[in-house]
Amino acid sequence: MTDTSISPFPVELTNPKKPARFALARRTIITPIFLSLLILAVATLAIMTGSRPFNQAMIDILVRVTLVVGLYIFIGNSGVLSFGHIGFTCLGAYAAAWLTINPLMKKTSLPGLPNFILQARLPYWEAAPIAAIFAGVIALILGRILMRLSGIAASIATFAVLAMINTIYSNWESVTGATSSVVGIPIVRNIWPYVGAAIIAIFIAWGHAISRSGLALRAARDEPTAAAASGVDIPKERLVAFTISGIVMGLGGAAMAHSIGVVTPDNFYLGLTFITLSMLVVGGMSSLSGAVLGVLLLSALIQGLRWLEAGVVLGETTFALPKGLQEIALGGLMIVILALRPAGLIGNREITFARFKGKA
Amino acid sequence: MGHLSAEYVSVAFAGLKALSSVTLRIQSGHISGLIGPNGAGKTTLVNVLTGFQIPTEGTVILNGQPLGRLKPHEVRRRGIARTFQSGRLFRDLPVIDNLEVTGVGLGMSRRTAVAEAEAMLDWIGISALSSRIAGTLPYTDERRVAIGRALMGRPAYILLDEPAAGMSAAEATELSNLVRRIARDLGCGVLIIEHNVGLVLGLCDHIVVLDSGAVIEEGVPADIRKSEKVRHAYMGTAAETSLPAEEVML
Ligand SMILES: Nc1ncnc2c1ncn2[C@@H]1O[C@H](COP(=O)(O)OP(=O)(O)OP(=O)(O)O)[C@@H](O)[C@H]1O
Ligand SMILES: [Mg+2]
Repeated sequence: MTDTSISPFPVELTNPKKPARFALARRTIITPIFLSLLILAVATLAIMTGSRPFNQAMIDILVRVTLVVGLYIFIGNSGVLSFGHIGFTCLGAYAAAWLTINPLMKKTSLPGLPNFILQARLPYWEAAPIAAIFAGVIALILGRILMRLSGIAASIATFAVLAMINTIYSNWESVTGATSSVVGIPIVRNIWPYVGAAIIAIFIAWGHAISRSGLALRAARDEPTAAAASGVDIPKERLVAFTISGIVMGLGGAAMAHSIGVVTPDNFYLGLTFITLSMLVVGGMSSLSGAVLGVLLLSALIQGLRWLEAGVVLGETTFALPKGLQEIALGGLMIVILALRPAGLIGNREITFARFKGKA
Repeated sequence: MGHLSAEYVSVAFAGLKALSSVTLRIQSGHISGLIGPNGAGKTTLVNVLTGFQIPTEGTVILNGQPLGRLKPHEVRRRGIARTFQSGRLFRDLPVIDNLEVTGVGLGMSRRTAVAEAEAMLDWIGISALSSRIAGTLPYTDERRVAIGRALMGRPAYILLDEPAAGMSAAEATELSNLVRRIARDLGCGVLIIEHNVGLVLGLCDHIVVLDSGAVIEEGVPADIRKSEKVRHAYMGTAAETSLPAEEVML
């Protein structure tokens, strides 16, 4: 600051006493802990049931928790609706596929991959973080351009990103297999890695939300003009959130790839975009708790409908995006909730211990 | 002594000349007043000084150096703070977080920012509001929180856009005292825009009168009180400004 000859400064304003270290973290950590316990409960339920389709259904839910929490990091804090994030999921899923498929298979199915990737055969726990970082780096690069835009222009540009990634992955035959399925991704049926991914996503989202960047971004969401007048560099804070959410979306993509073992570009397009956005909106766009609860509630609904429709068998396709009845019901529910509670079921609050106690 | 000045600033909006070659200077530790009827260009001038409006002509000078085309957040980081005519608090955030946002915007850690924010609320005398959600505050509290938010990080200048609008006489007096403390105790250069001419005459060291985008008079309060031009400008629009009669009478 440009300090000029300032007369005796009021003592009460010089070096005020700081709160204890991590006071804010300690005050708010109950939210991610509570949400993680919820996730653990879901996993335990799957294990206790012991049914394979049910286990797969729970894995799908955990993958969606990861994705919707990833969406929340950007959309919830910035208030900018993004239709492009599933593109980063696509990047993460393919990157995980590239790194984990047996090199012998890759040489024939994806011959255009650079040699070091062709040779690679990483375990999923090494491939997934690399895939996530890859998605994050692309988000960072695209975000530098996108984050200058705001409002509807920004949302439309994010949609263009989705279309662009989908087009590239649908056509780059030698690297992505174009529209044909990339097969041979090691399938992981154990539920715990998915629990881990979802919990990591939740803690990343919480860490960002209580960070300087998260606070500045939420301020800019509510009052961009005043935030700028408070020294907040809005495009920069948006870019931070965009990149972090890109990483989480990429992690979700890797998880998705290992949960189904096969990827095609259309797994990561409008259907998944619609479902994940509905879950975020229904739960409460600007709340982490809302993001997680939205997934759990809507997934329960979708599963219920699915089982009513097709019995307890999952279906003949290896992965089925909800179609027909489920999508209509989902759309209907979304309209009803938006009409009755525009801010979603949770609104912009978080589940905290205080609230929890108050309700008990 | 530092100064912040607008020099020969003109702003045109699609044919409408909102400011015509306006020069205004703000000095550390001093209180300057900017008055003029509705639509005179007062807010536009503050927008120019804070990077929200690029002038068609003219420059903003900070301590002898042209400020150039800085973005609003960069201007704030150079120590030029402002408030808004319409309040513009972060309505969903608690009062303390509203102040904290400026702290983190200026590069403080959240821990430092919250400490500074608490000290600032205390200094202004509104500690009791700390955990209230900003959107639920009554109008006058909103104004004081907005001033607190602008004062975070010890800006060298603060530009207040109609901070006393809608206040009772007692509240306006309290506000005047706060503004005096900001100039005297914090060493801030203050610019205050106010329709309550009585308040400005009692508070400011120097007053500039704008009408239709041009400076029609400037000087110490005694000069402004005597000015025939000012009287005219205000009489012409007295109905619109909805000032109590005794405040229009200079
Ligand atoms: N962004 C803009 N685009 C077009 N015209 C504008 C814009 N901002 C201000 N104006 C016009 O410029 C003139 C000066 O406006 P300004 O807001 O600076 O006046 P003011 O002195 O602050 O008035 P008030 O006392 O009502 O706040 C007005 O005629 C206004 O309509
Ligand atoms: Mg104005």
